[in-house]
Amino acid sequence: MSIDTAAYVDDRPDEGIFRVNRAIFTDEQVFEAEMARIFEGGWVFLGLEAQAPAPHDFFTTFAGRVPILVQRDGEGQLRAFVNSCPHKGARLAQTQSGNARLHVCPYHSWSFDSAGRSKAVKWQKAGCYSAAFDQQDHGLAAVPCFENYRGFLFGSLSADVPSLADYLGEAAKLLDLVADQSEEGAELVPGQVTFTYQANWKLQLENCSDAYHFTSAHPSYIRVLERRQQETSGEVVASVWENSDYWKEETQGVGGGSYSFPNGHVLNWGVFGITPAIPLYESAAVLAERHGEGKRDWMFNMRNLTIFPNLQVAENASSQLRVIRPIGPGLTEMRTWCIAPKGESDAARRQRIRQYEDFFNPTGMATPDDTVSYENCQIGYAGRVDPWLQGYARGMTASVEGGNRFSDRIGLTPARSVLADSQLCDETLYHAYYRAWAERMGGAE
Amino acid sequence: MATLTRSQAEELLFREALLIDTRRYDEWLAMFTPDIEFWMPAWRNETETTTDPDRELSLIYYKGRRNLEDRVMRLTSGLSTASSPPPRVVHVISNVLLTAGDADTAEVSAVFTCHRFDVRMNRTECFFGRYEYALRRESEAWLIVRKKIVLLNDVIPTVVDITSI
Repeated sequence: MSIDTAAYVDDRPDEGIFRVNRAIFTDEQVFEAEMARIFEGGWVFLGLEAQAPAPHDFFTTFAGRVPILVQRDGEGQLRAFVNSCPHKGARLAQTQSGNARLHVCPYHSWSFDSAGRSKAVKWQKAGCYSAAFDQQDHGLAAVPCFENYRGFLFGSLSADVPSLADYLGEAAKLLDLVADQSEEGAELVPGQVTFTYQANWKLQLENCSDAYHFTSAHPSYIRVLERRQQETSGEVVASVWENSDYWKEETQGVGGGSYSFPNGHVLNWGVFGITPAIPLYESAAVLAERHGEGKRDWMFNMRNLTIFPNLQVAENASSQLRVIRPIGPGLTEMRTWCIAPKGESDAARRQRIRQYEDFFNPTGMATPDDTVSYENCQIGYAGRVDPWLQGYARGMTASVEGGNRFSDRIGLTPARSVLADSQLCDETLYHAYYRAWAERMGGAE
Repeated sequence: MATLTRSQAEELLFREALLIDTRRYDEWLAMFTPDIEFWMPAWRNETETTTDPDRELSLIYYKGRRNLEDRVMRLTSGLSTASSPPPRVVHVISNVLLTAGDADTAEVSAVFTCHRFDVRMNRTECFFGRYEYALRRESEAWLIVRKKIVLLNDVIPTVVDITSI
């Protein structure tokens, strides 16, 4: 299916124009093409290596609409398969995670070892199969490309993709900032939270990178923060936001900015400083020693990272790993976890979890005001009197090629960058999303 | 002094439900001790909830009524898109059992369904699960010192606030 991308993304840099058509969020044929070309036709995030730490451990996920099984074999090697029995297509592994030397299909008992090889076709000898069948491979279909970047596992259902290193490019250094917070790497805190919202997946993509909405969508949360600031007591949930002026409208000077990278990866960041409100504070000295002050300081910056199209790591009030799973043009499922450095102290872990629940959970005090806004957008997208949205224009004259003195501190070379005070709230970083989108959607099949 | 009876426990739980359903939040908060533990665990996998709020994630965990006051303030501030207009909710509570108790403390288990009509999106949802309460006698009144909510359908449709569980 071919999409006329110019009908959806109006990108005229020389004229200072970048607009996105509302239809990009609602059209069925756009969604079908996104599934085929982006989610099932290129690199997507599958999970963390830490989700299957031991021999024969597995976890399940999706690449677009395709069920995926990530499985470690007895020797420790990880592989990714389509989680579907080759016999009749039934989903094979039924749980989010587990440990299995053998997967037995619950429908007709075909079985597979933890390397995905066929172990048995039930009653094969009695089955009067043709020689052609007997010569076929009855193992699980491997995901054509599967790579591990520092514990972050990615797969592609298309073999025609660049290497993962090329796909991540410089943005890999931003995953390093997560992986290097502990010498043992990162892990997911037990307890996954899944929520849905009735709006397009790209709203989540954008919102993670949206500095503009914070004081507008979250004033009720900000009021709670202000109240906690005034009357701190041992029993209130402490938040990093209380100790930072980053989000306050009147804050002066450079407070952060944005970086964008090829292939649609984006970072929105702000300075928090080395403060005890951040659970990582206990490691501030050792991290500086191990990685240098520049990289250590970056670990303490507020960072919202998107690895296009489905992974977001938000390190602000706490630390969240999100996987975006589009279900339809107007329905998205979010699977979310608290991601944390392995081996942190009990006190730091408790602080991280408490901050997380309050801010990130769909049962907390901030995320619902985002997701409800996505739904309001989805409703409003029906309005096509002027189909072109005006939300991609802030920062147009501040965006420059390459990095700046902050990215230089970790030798990071983004494609473009913006340095921002608290009221600039760059929107040009979304351009990276939609340029990658147009590149993927517009090319030949 | 006499131990808590089941009908007293039912009355307490039913009253709490009425106060939430009719948005009488100040009276609702007054049913809790200042050191209330208000806890809705997350699910670790298909069959087990998390059990250690300090090492594992919860959907909601607060130690101290002060934090619930924050939640009420947010709900009633008019500043939360997700909370206004407020959804219409009704809690149905059943299977109330006394599971432990003496003159000054009691433990109660119950089940709930909460029907929510989200007027904003014109959609009706039902949340269901189990409650575990710990109660403490303070002067003549029984107050809630611990409320654990095990939400069984935990894929959250956009939002679940303290009013829908």
